Amino acid sequence: MPDLLHRYGPDLLTGFGMTLFTWALGTLLGFALGFAIELLRRFGPKRLAWPIRAYVEFIRGTPFLVQLFVLYYGGPLIGLRLDALPAGVLGLTIYGSAYFTEILRAGFDAVPKGQIEAARAMGFTDGVIVRRIMVPVMMVSALPALVNFAIILTKETVILSMITVPEIMFQTQTMMSETFAFVEPILILALFFWGFVEVISRLGRRLERRFTHYLLERS
Amino acid sequence: MTTLSSSPAAASMRKVNKYYGTFHALRDVDLDIPPGKVTCLIGPSGSGKSTLLRCLNFLEDYDSGEVRIDDQLIGYETPGGRRMSARRLREMRRDIGMVFQQFNLWPHMTALQNVAEGLERVRGFSRPEAEVRAREALAKVGLADKEANHPSRLSGGQQQRVAIARAIAMQPRIMLFDEPTSALDPELVGEVLGVMKQLASEGMTMVVVTHEMGFAAHVADRVVFMERGEIVAVGSPREVFHDAADPRLQSFLQGYRERNSLEF
Ligand SMILES: Nc1ncnc2c1ncn2[C@@H]1O[C@H](COP(=O)(O)OP(=O)(O)OP(=O)(O)O)[C@@H](O)[C@H]1O
Ligand SMILES: [Mg+2]
Repeated sequence: MPDLLHRYGPDLLTGFGMTLFTWALGTLLGFALGFAIELLRRFGPKRLAWPIRAYVEFIRGTPFLVQLFVLYYGGPLIGLRLDALPAGVLGLTIYGSAYFTEILRAGFDAVPKGQIEAARAMGFTDGVIVRRIMVPVMMVSALPALVNFAIILTKETVILSMITVPEIMFQTQTMMSETFAFVEPILILALFFWGFVEVISRLGRRLERRFTHYLLERS
Repeated sequence: MTTLSSSPAAASMRKVNKYYGTFHALRDVDLDIPPGKVTCLIGPSGSGKSTLLRCLNFLEDYDSGEVRIDDQLIGYETPGGRRMSARRLREMRRDIGMVFQQFNLWPHMTALQNVAEGLERVRGFSRPEAEVRAREALAKVGLADKEANHPSRLSGGQQQRVAIARAIAMQPRIMLFDEPTSALDPELVGEVLGVMKQLASEGMTMVVVTHEMGFAAHVADRVVFMERGEIVAVGSPREVFHDAADPRLQSFLQGYRERNSLEF
């Protein structure tokens, strides 16, 4: 084991870093895209409703691996030539956006209509209503689901190994095929994800407290 | 029955019709809201009181007719014409305060923040200036000491008073109330009606949908009785409550008296 670690340590570290990087970027961009899609669905022209629905259903209805292959191997057919890493991040972004959109839709739907009406009746712009009222109120109900999906996404990153993104799965697989060691790489992989997810849940809970502090403060 | 004043109306409706799908919710409604007076809207459940009120600030769109605030058509560019721009509608709504049955305070903001928000975002005051004005409004409804409380830490009556403060801080030219006391425990109704009376005595133009006949009888300058989307009777409280001629109004009042077994 010490031998293995010595030999593969640097590669494993790069793998950890790459996993963290693709996850963070994919989650962030996926959330941003999902948010934009949800705003478009809510405030945009009605004729966009159907295409948006089709997009969401298509993404949710197909495996991430298939989407990634379509993007990476099919992309060049329509002139979209991407390296493995950008393709992977873009894939995660698209995949995540469909789910984030749906979580946000349910969250926004749960904002009491009267609270929005009160703002509208006072002459608030839609932008201010979204930023100052809908988002903070929506977060109370949607945050657990958002964090949960961000956690699910950590594990989807391993699929990027299939298009040769050198993330942690890719590195441990290389390690396995070169050394025929099995237990150690798998153990390292499992421990890494466990710790990773633990950190995200903690951050998520802290975020939840920030958005719900007013519900907890009781005299 | 009577015309209360000859000065131009603070708001008016002309031949207003409103449909929900095929349901005819407002039928040829004609109404003038006198400035500086309290107009109470009464009538059975489902008669269209809220719909009428919400047409006044275009929270509900109407299908035909004209709704005017200070002689300005609201909702459409011309009678029966195109919708007015979102910006123009916002400008008009700035001057129309509204208080809802369910208070509709923003739960993540303190009482002070609830009142200051519109002053800052809509009226364009700096945050400190908005807070000064918000404090004045809270003091006016007797809640100076509750400014740091979130709505979840206020009683229903206090929440409704914050909602009133939020509206009056904007210095509206007219205030709309949709059953402001209907969601309150009986012992909390008085404090809210008290604030409304004070507002009335200061000459605020008010339109109040209410089931509080006592309030209508004692505070209203004008009472409007609606049924099935129509205005059936308009007059002073005395005319509407005592000299009621219309059988639908009589039976409504009869029912009310029986339920409450009290005189007004
Ligand atoms: N969004 C809507 N869609 C369809 N029908 C509606 C809608 N809002 C109101 N209505 C109908 O229009 C009629 C008038 O409703 P409105 O809320 O104005 O009555 P109201 O006089 O305020 O009654 P209440 O005293 O119960 O508040 C009712 O029959 C109601 O069912
Ligand atoms: Mg109503």
